[in-house]
Amino acid sequence: MRTWLNRQRLLIEYTVAALGRRRARSLGLLLTYTAVVFVLASVMLFTHALRQEAARVLAHSPEVVLQHLVAGRHALIPADYLERIPRQRGVREMTPRLWGYFYDPVVQANYTFMATADAPPPGHILIGPAMARARGVAPGNLIAWRAYDGAVHTFTVAGILDAHSELMSADLVLLGEDDFRGFFNYPEGQYTDIAIAVRNPREVRNVATRLSEALPDARLILRDEVLRTYAALFDWRQGIVLAILSGALLAFALLAWDKASGLAAEERREIGILKAIGWETGDVLRMKFWEGALLSGTAFLSGYVLAHVHVFHLHGALFRPVLQGWAVLYPRFALPPEIDPLQVLTLALLTVLPYTVAVLVPCWRAATTDPDAVMRS
Amino acid sequence: MRPAPFRPLPSRPRPASTYVLGVFAALIAAFAATFVDAARLRAERAPHTQASIALTARLGLTDPVLMTEARYLRHPSQADLHAHFQDHPLAFDLFPGGSLLPPPRHAHLAQPSATAD
Amino acid sequence: MILQPAIIALLLCAALGFAALALSSPASWQLVRHWQPQSGSRLQLALERRTYLMSVLVRFVLVSQIAALLLFVYNADRMAVQFVGAMCAVGTLQANAWGFPALLAQIALFFAASSWLLLDHADRQARDYPLVRLKFAALLVVLLPLTGTVLALQGLYFGNLRADVITSCCGSLFSADSPSVSGTLAALPPRPAMLAFYFSVLLACAANLHYRLRRRGAWLAGASSALAFVAAIVGIIAFVSLYIYEHPHHHCPFCILQAEHGYYGYALYLPLFAASACGLGVGVLAPFSARPGLRTVMPALCARLAGWAAAGFALFLALATLMIQSSNLILLES
Repeated sequence: MRTWLNRQRLLIEYTVAALGRRRARSLGLLLTYTAVVFVLASVMLFTHALRQEAARVLAHSPEVVLQHLVAGRHALIPADYLERIPRQRGVREMTPRLWGYFYDPVVQANYTFMATADAPPPGHILIGPAMARARGVAPGNLIAWRAYDGAVHTFTVAGILDAHSELMSADLVLLGEDDFRGFFNYPEGQYTDIAIAVRNPREVRNVATRLSEALPDARLILRDEVLRTYAALFDWRQGIVLAILSGALLAFALLAWDKASGLAAEERREIGILKAIGWETGDVLRMKFWEGALLSGTAFLSGYVLAHVHVFHLHGALFRPVLQGWAVLYPRFALPPEIDPLQVLTLALLTVLPYTVAVLVPCWRAATTDPDAVMRS
Repeated sequence: MRPAPFRPLPSRPRPASTYVLGVFAALIAAFAATFVDAARLRAERAPHTQASIALTARLGLTDPVLMTEARYLRHPSQADLHAHFQDHPLAFDLFPGGSLLPPPRHAHLAQPSATAD
Repeated sequence: MILQPAIIALLLCAALGFAALALSSPASWQLVRHWQPQSGSRLQLALERRTYLMSVLVRFVLVSQIAALLLFVYNADRMAVQFVGAMCAVGTLQANAWGFPALLAQIALFFAASSWLLLDHADRQARDYPLVRLKFAALLVVLLPLTGTVLALQGLYFGNLRADVITSCCGSLFSADSPSVSGTLAALPPRPAMLAFYFSVLLACAANLHYRLRRRGAWLAGASSALAFVAAIVGIIAFVSLYIYEHPHHHCPFCILQAEHGYYGYALYLPLFAASACGLGVGVLAPFSARPGLRTVMPALCARLAGWAAAGFALFLALATLMIQSSNLILLES
C-alpha cells in the first residue's frame, strides 16, 4: 500500500511538473473547463432552488380555481354562477376572487391588481416591493393612475408588502373591493374566478370531476396541476439552457481533444525518453490519468464553488438580464439553497464525461509512442 | 512479456506535488463548505419562505412573479389553454419570456375536448 | 420527451458508452482472433498496444454505467411529482411500457460490468495476460449487446415519456391483488418469506466466508450470491418494506429511497449491490485460478472479494434486522 501510494505521488509529481512546463496551455484549458462547469452548475443550482421554493410556496395555493369560459376565453363569472353550483359535500369554502392586470405607462410595467377582504381603507393601497422600487414610492405617498374609464384615480400607499415574500408579491397592488370595481369599471356582481377549498385533500379530484360535470362552461385548475405546470416549466428552462449550452460543451470537448491530440513535438519526445528509460505504457497512461483527474477535479470543484457563490450570495447576478426578458418588474429574492446529490451527479456526468471521452484516444496514442520513432525524428 | 518493473526516480518528492495536493485539498474543503453554507442559508432564509407562504395562503395566489410582460407569462397556470396564441389566432409569442415556457400541457380533467386547445 | 438535465446526462452516458464499445468492436474481434502472446510479430505488438486502449475505454464506459444506474433510480424517484398518480419511482417507471425493462437492463449491465472489470483487473495482474481472448469475447458477446439494449430501452423510455399520462403508483403495482409477478411477491406470507430471505442471505454470507478461509467452493459462493440478491429483493418487497413503512400493506421497494423514510433504501441497496457484485465476481473468476499465469494472483484476489462479499451481506442483513427490530409494526405474533 505504501509503495503504491508513493508511486502515485511520484506520478503526480511528474504530472504537475509536466503541466507546469506548458503553463499557458494547461491554464487555458483549466479556465475553459472551470467556466463550463460554472455556467452549467449555476443554471442547475438556480433552477433547482427556484423550483423547490415555488413548490413549497404553491403547496398553499387554492386547491381548485374555477374559471368561467366563454368561446374558449376566460370570462367574468356572473353573480348567479355560485348558485348554479350544486351543494357539494367535501367543498369547505368557495371564495369569489377579483383580480386583473393594469399597464402603467409611466414605468411601462404590468401590475397585478387584487381586491382583498382585509384591504386598507378606501383610497389606500398596499403595493409589492418591486413595484415600489420601480415607481420610487414610499408609504404615505400618493399614486395617480388614469383608469380604464378615463378618469384619474389617486391612491395613498398605505404600505409595502413584506420584501421577504417578493417571489410572490413583487408586482401586486392590493385594494378594497369597491376601489377595485371603481377603478376598472368592473360590472357589479361579477367576479374574476372562484377559489374552492376542499375538506379532504384526497377528495380534490373527485370534487373537481363532479363540478366539471355540473358546469360544462367552467374550467377547473387543480393545485396539483399548478404544481406540475411549474415542475415542467423549470425542467423546460433547464433543458433549453442546456440545449443552448450543448454547443459550448461540444466546443469544449473539441478543445480538449485538440489539445490532447495535438501533442507538441516536445511532449512526444518527453514520452519517448520516459519509455526509453523504462516507463511502461501503463505508467504513461497512469500519468495521463492523473493529469486528467487533477484537471477535471480542480475545474469541477472550483466551478461548483463559484456557482454556489454566484447563485446563493450574488443572487444569480449574471443570469438576471436573461431571465428578466422585457419585464420591467423583476423580483429580487434570496433563494434558500436546495442541493441534492442528483444535481451534483448529473453535473459531473455532463462535464467530466465529454472531457474524458475526448482525451482518451489521444492519450493512448501518446502512451503507445515508440521511443525509437520519436528519438530518431 | 513486460519489461522491468517501474522504479521511481531517485529524487525526493519536490514540494510541487505537495503544493498541488494542498490546493486540491483546499478545493475539496471549499466544496464541502458549500454544503454547510447551504444549510446555514436555508435556515436563515426559511422565514422568507414562510412570509411567501403566508401571503399565498391569505390571498390565494397561484403563480410566482417570474415574468410580467404578458398575462400568460405572469400567470402560466391560469392562462387559457391555447396560451401562446391567446390574443388572436396569429399572435406570435413575441416576448422573450415566452421562449422560457414549455409548450402548453394538455393534461386535463374528464373534459373530453370541451375546450379547443 | 421531457427535456431535463438528468435525462440528457443519462442518454449521453448510454450513447457515449455504446458508441465507444461499438467503434472498438472491430479491434476486439481482431484481438480475439489473432492474439498470440508467444509471437513477436508486428501484429501482435500492435494488438498488445491496443489492449491498453481497450481496457481503459471499457473501464471508463463501465464505471460511467455504474454511476448511471444510481442516477437512473434517483431521477425516477425525483420525477414522480410530474405524473398524475405517481408517488415514487414506480409511478415514473410505469409511465410507459419501457421503464421497468430499462431499469432491469441497467441492473444486468451493472453486474455484467462489475464482473468484467474484475476479470480485467485479474488479467492485468498476471504477467502474460492469459484472459485477453476471454475478456474481449465477453465484451463482444455480452457487454456490447447489453449496452445497446440499455441505450435502446432508455431511448424508448425517455422518448415516450409524456407528462400528462396518468400512471399507477406503487400501491397498485405491489399489492397482493395485482395479477403480476410483483403482486405475487407482495402476497407472499411473511413467515416463509422471512425464512427464505434469512436462509439465502446467510447461505451467501457463509459460502463466501468459507471460500475466504478455505479457498474452496467458489461456484457455491457465486451461485449463492446471485440467489441471495434475488431473495433479498423479494424479501424487501415481501416484508422488510412493511416494517420500514410501519404499514401492513405498503410493499414498495422504491419508496424506501425517499427522504421521509430516512434514505433507508440506500443503506440497504448499496451493501447489497456491492456484496452481490463481489460474490458474483468470485464465481466468475475462481474457475480461472488454475491457469498458469494466474496461479499466484488469482486465489488471493478471489479470497479478498469473497471477504468483502461476506462482509457486505452481513452488513445488509444486520441493517435489515435492525430496521425490523426498531419498527413498531408487528407482523408475526410470536
